[in-house]
Amino acid sequence: MPRKEGIYGLLAEFNTPSELVHATEAAQAAGYRRMECYTPYPVEEAATALNFHKNRVPLVCLLGGLMGVTTAFLMQTWIAVWAYPLNIAGRPLFSWPAFIIPAYEWTILFSGLAAGFGMIALNGLPQLYHPLFNAPNFRNGATTDKFFLCLEAADPQFSPSGTRSFLEQFHAVSVVEVDH
Amino acid sequence: MSHGHEHHGEEHGHGPKVLPASLAAPEEALKAWRMRLLIVGALAAIVSLLAFSWTHEGRNHLLRGYLLGFMISFGFAGGGLAMLMLQYVSGGKWGLLLRRPLEAMSRTLKLVAVLVIPVLVLMKHLYQWAAFPNAAATAEAHAKGLMTQEQMLTANAKHAMLSPGSAIGQTIVIFAVLGFMAFLLNKWSLQRDADPLAGTQESFDRWRIKFENLSGIGILIYVILLTDGAILWIKSLDVTWYSSIYGLQFLVGQGYQVLALGILSVVLLSRFQPMKTLLRVTEQHDLGKFLFAFVMLNIYLCFAEFLIIWSGNVPDEIPWYMARVQGGWWVICSLDFICHWLIPFVLLLSRDLKRNKSKMIWLTCWMIFARCLDMFWLIEPNFSDAAGNLHLANNVGILAYITVPVAVLSVWGAFYLTELMKRPLMNVNDPHLEEMLEPEHAH
Repeated sequence: MPRKEGIYGLLAEFNTPSELVHATEAAQAAGYRRMECYTPYPVEEAATALNFHKNRVPLVCLLGGLMGVTTAFLMQTWIAVWAYPLNIAGRPLFSWPAFIIPAYEWTILFSGLAAGFGMIALNGLPQLYHPLFNAPNFRNGATTDKFFLCLEAADPQFSPSGTRSFLEQFHAVSVVEVDH
Repeated sequence: MSHGHEHHGEEHGHGPKVLPASLAAPEEALKAWRMRLLIVGALAAIVSLLAFSWTHEGRNHLLRGYLLGFMISFGFAGGGLAMLMLQYVSGGKWGLLLRRPLEAMSRTLKLVAVLVIPVLVLMKHLYQWAAFPNAAATAEAHAKGLMTQEQMLTANAKHAMLSPGSAIGQTIVIFAVLGFMAFLLNKWSLQRDADPLAGTQESFDRWRIKFENLSGIGILIYVILLTDGAILWIKSLDVTWYSSIYGLQFLVGQGYQVLALGILSVVLLSRFQPMKTLLRVTEQHDLGKFLFAFVMLNIYLCFAEFLIIWSGNVPDEIPWYMARVQGGWWVICSLDFICHWLIPFVLLLSRDLKRNKSKMIWLTCWMIFARCLDMFWLIEPNFSDAAGNLHLANNVGILAYITVPVAVLSVWGAFYLTELMKRPLMNVNDPHLEEMLEPEHAH
């Protein structure tokens, strides 16, 4: 894959979460869609403003759970009925009540692992490089006390000068151009 | 989570909501619902009496159906009291939201105490130990083939607990103690709102500690009394049956139905002020998750009991299950599993459903129905004519399990709505109230 070049986006820095959320809502209203908020702690309103309600983690979790229950149940059936048929207290070989508890445990195990790893994968992690770290103020502030909004160049609405003047109306501490 | 949003808000209209001027329950709506319940209850009672009271078998089934209705009503009243105490010790906004509906449920204990009287008066038609109340009577019943030898011997051995006088005594103690706890909690709740220091930290702490001190020990007392009641009223229908998990199963089942009714109440009330302002999607979602936990815990206990008995495979224990899976009961057993666990479990997995008002109305009604179905499966196979033999021919009275509980529960529901009307729908002297008026956030 060829290396991406040029502008990744415009990064606006804010001192308070409310300024960030306000700018994000305005950007959504102005038709921008490719954008991301970066905050030192979870800001629920920012997620709302980004329309970040739904993701696929629940689906991945559900699929993991279904896989767990099927695997465990079929495996125990195979073991008890075909692989190692044993007479246990005269019960039928296919004694399904005994299979339920391990099947239940595997459901939890698989869905937990699927949710955890699925979340990491859907976040695009592990990611060794992100263009935003090219911005010095981002490195210093994003994990301590600053709130960032990045409008990405991939958005059709994006133009270097128009978007810059759009962001500057919000009293941002700074608006900087970030390269790939 | 709680940082951040304080700054943001007022400037673009996301600020806290204003507490409605009147917190009184919407009386007209509640009266209309109550009237509907009373009409349904009266119709169901008339149908029951006209259809089933002509034959001996029909009258027996009327009484058994009545026992089912009584036990579900007790589940709401006693379970409501237990949930009320639980929310006092655990705290949380969900508890404040449900507090007044739970208080109303606990105040219906007086009605349930009246409802138990027919069960006590007619107990010899329900319980073998009441029909044959002493060793001489059981010996005679055994000689006539009315009791097996095992039933005779266990009935004699359990005589101290299971005999008419003792049963009446236990019932009185249960209702007296629960009624006293419900009385104190309800009285203090009004005093808390009337506190001259209301709204101060001092007042919050004083009341919180006062409620916690009763509720902590109260939950323990409730579990003991409920275990006794469940054994006495339901489990002893089969005098030979032992299960150490029985009380806990009823406790969880009560949590299941009480939470379902609590959610149903606040969601229906949210069509009107003040609940329209007070019920946020956030709390509804939390309650949905809590309900899901009860759905899981309920099946966990039911299945654990079955698995242990199935593994043990002891002749003393398995007849209880044999009577409940053989001869057509397998259908009811499967339906019980599907209605009671599978459907609520699958539906409550969905986040959208938990946040949707009309879907939660349907689901909570369904769950209350499923609880009755479960109780049917627990009660009916205890009787020798029904054990391992589910049939309708010459046994039409079994349909009384549909009409009689509808009548009893409608009357109970009407009383619950009357109690709900008596107080404002929100306990205002509580620090959580302020949080409930804050704007909500997507989780």
